[in-house]
Amino acid sequence: MSAVFEPTAPVTRTEERFVFSATGSEYFRIWIVNLLLSIVTLGIYSAWAKVRRNQYFYANTKLAGSTFEYHGNPMAILKGRIAAVVLIGGYNLALHYSVKVGLVMLVVVAAVMPWLILKSLQYSLHNSSYRGIRFGFRGNLKSAYLYYLVLPVASVFTLGLAYPFVHQRLKQFQHTESRYGTTHFSFDAPVGAFYKAYGVFIGLLLGGSFALGIVGAIVGGVSTVMGGGTGKAGVIALIVIVSYGYALCVGTAFMAYLQNLIWNHTQLGAHGFRSTMTWQGLAGLLITNLLGIAFTLGLFIPFAHVRALKYRMQCTAMLVSGSLDDVVANKGGEVDAIGEGMADLAGFDLSL
Amino acid sequence: MDSGAAMGTVAGRYYDGVTSRVHRVVLRVEGGQACLEGDAERRAPLDDIRVSERTTHAPRRLTFADEAVFEPDDRHALEALLLATGHRDGSVVRMQQSWRAVLVASVVLVAVLVLGYLFALPAGANLVARMLPVAVERQLGQGMLDVLDRRVFAPSKLSASRRDELAQAFARLAPPEDGAPAYHLVFRRSRIGPNAFALPSGDIVMTDEMVNLLEDDKAVLATLAHELGHLHERHLTRRLIQGSVVAAAITVVAGDAGSLLAGLPTLALDMHYSREAEQEADDYAAAMLQQNGIGLAHLERVFATLEDIEKENGVMPAYLSSHPASAERLARLRQRPHPH
Repeated sequence: MSAVFEPTAPVTRTEERFVFSATGSEYFRIWIVNLLLSIVTLGIYSAWAKVRRNQYFYANTKLAGSTFEYHGNPMAILKGRIAAVVLIGGYNLALHYSVKVGLVMLVVVAAVMPWLILKSLQYSLHNSSYRGIRFGFRGNLKSAYLYYLVLPVASVFTLGLAYPFVHQRLKQFQHTESRYGTTHFSFDAPVGAFYKAYGVFIGLLLGGSFALGIVGAIVGGVSTVMGGGTGKAGVIALIVIVSYGYALCVGTAFMAYLQNLIWNHTQLGAHGFRSTMTWQGLAGLLITNLLGIAFTLGLFIPFAHVRALKYRMQCTAMLVSGSLDDVVANKGGEVDAIGEGMADLAGFDLSL
Repeated sequence: MDSGAAMGTVAGRYYDGVTSRVHRVVLRVEGGQACLEGDAERRAPLDDIRVSERTTHAPRRLTFADEAVFEPDDRHALEALLLATGHRDGSVVRMQQSWRAVLVASVVLVAVLVLGYLFALPAGANLVARMLPVAVERQLGQGMLDVLDRRVFAPSKLSASRRDELAQAFARLAPPEDGAPAYHLVFRRSRIGPNAFALPSGDIVMTDEMVNLLEDDKAVLATLAHELGHLHERHLTRRLIQGSVVAAAITVVAGDAGSLLAGLPTLALDMHYSREAEQEADDYAAAMLQQNGIGLAHLERVFATLEDIEKENGVMPAYLSSHPASAERLARLRQRPHPH
């Protein structure tokens, strides 16, 4: 009978895609109503708005036939946001008051930031669930200070040369400390791959600006010889457009490569992930979203948000080893939302 | 509520909140209780079950008190069952799902934003600024003059007697309203052209270039009266408050659109408040001149001189960057009812 409990054949891996069914037009309606209520209540409703928005996005995210659920508590989020307003407001006021007090406040904010980031990670994961099982974050305060304060500050003294290493360690911390039920995520992207990504990115940027400088000088010289100031202005405009376009392509290639690198080396227990983001897809998304928002005076914002999430989901799949049925819940205590409030207001994105 | 005998059943998946295992179950409502049968058996009062909000594509989900979850295979079957049990969506959800309500909300939103921007915010900022003790405002501007002295200004080349003459002439003028704040008049030579401004610290800075350009002491006094108006009306504090609220509102609206797009509207919206403040200071200066029997022609001269610079340079000098055009200010001044 013992043979039943031993894997006799390699477990099959099936690819399960994330399906995102939110639509821009529906989110637009949610967004407008949330916005009105938030402004009329002088921002108080914004905590409820956040919960509604997250519930909508989570409920519309499907994996292997089941959807996600958001459990955030508006009252807790409101308290976190009030604390964040006091902190950020105090910092801004202190800056106006005197530069010295401002600097002291800056140091204070920097000193508590790792704690707030840890709280925020704990809160957002603790309040996410899938199949009735909550996610969670185990990381302790000591590690948070190491990865969010000590290492980044130390990497400045290496003139940034250590930064790819710090980035790898940071993602490793985030992913290995995250859990689904009692099952932990793991992360095995090598430091070398981060160095390669940063190296190629900076190389492409430097090489590109060098090449553009040469081309610009030649074309500029030719057009000056040919005569005409308008030609020169045209050349400058063209160079500006081309360099923006080039920087966008290189930048999105870097972002897509990192996203793929990180998720292709992340595991949840025996299950893996596959990320297939491309720079063309990401660049197209960014450009159309930016143009859409600019030309509709902001009305496109909810559509842009949905498109960005949809693209990210489309590019991500889970490689399920066997089945997703055997994760066990970890019943833990509540987490307060102070870090979450700060993350909302300071706008730091912990998702990538 | 009916006994529920006529209600249908809904097939779906059940997760017990302990493991991620899928349980195939059928949901029935019986006597105010939800009953699950199949791979798992469970009964729970309807009041203890949380129903997820209605959306167009996502299935409704039932969450039990212990975070066990039921997800239907067919969302419409569950919708029908919810309707039969008398479950109603909240008012916010009904609004979100109706285009008509959303249209009304949009109109109300725009109206609230415009009225708030034009009336409520300036009035509120004015109230707060006037309640704030002058000493607090003064603290805000500490050190600004030192920075400017290092970067932009050199010591004045005007003779001490000339500076005293102007300062005393201005000190003799009575302000148009009671409670004019204490100020400190300083003269500086400027590296950025003719300029005059008030700092929150209560310093009124007058540049040599401005004095020389105006060639008329009473016009200099008119300029100083304008700057005193800024101090008296608490413009700097008001702009600080208004600017913070506008920035906060834009963060709420733009939220996830990024700071790139959020910066521009903040800047544009501040210009309106800035021009309003200039007009108030112009009115203050005009009232102050009239109070002291000085002709408004001297204030007109300030605007006319500035207009000449505008025409000459084609670009606005620093003094004017956020001011209404001088021609506009001149026209406004001429519309002012003259006393007697």
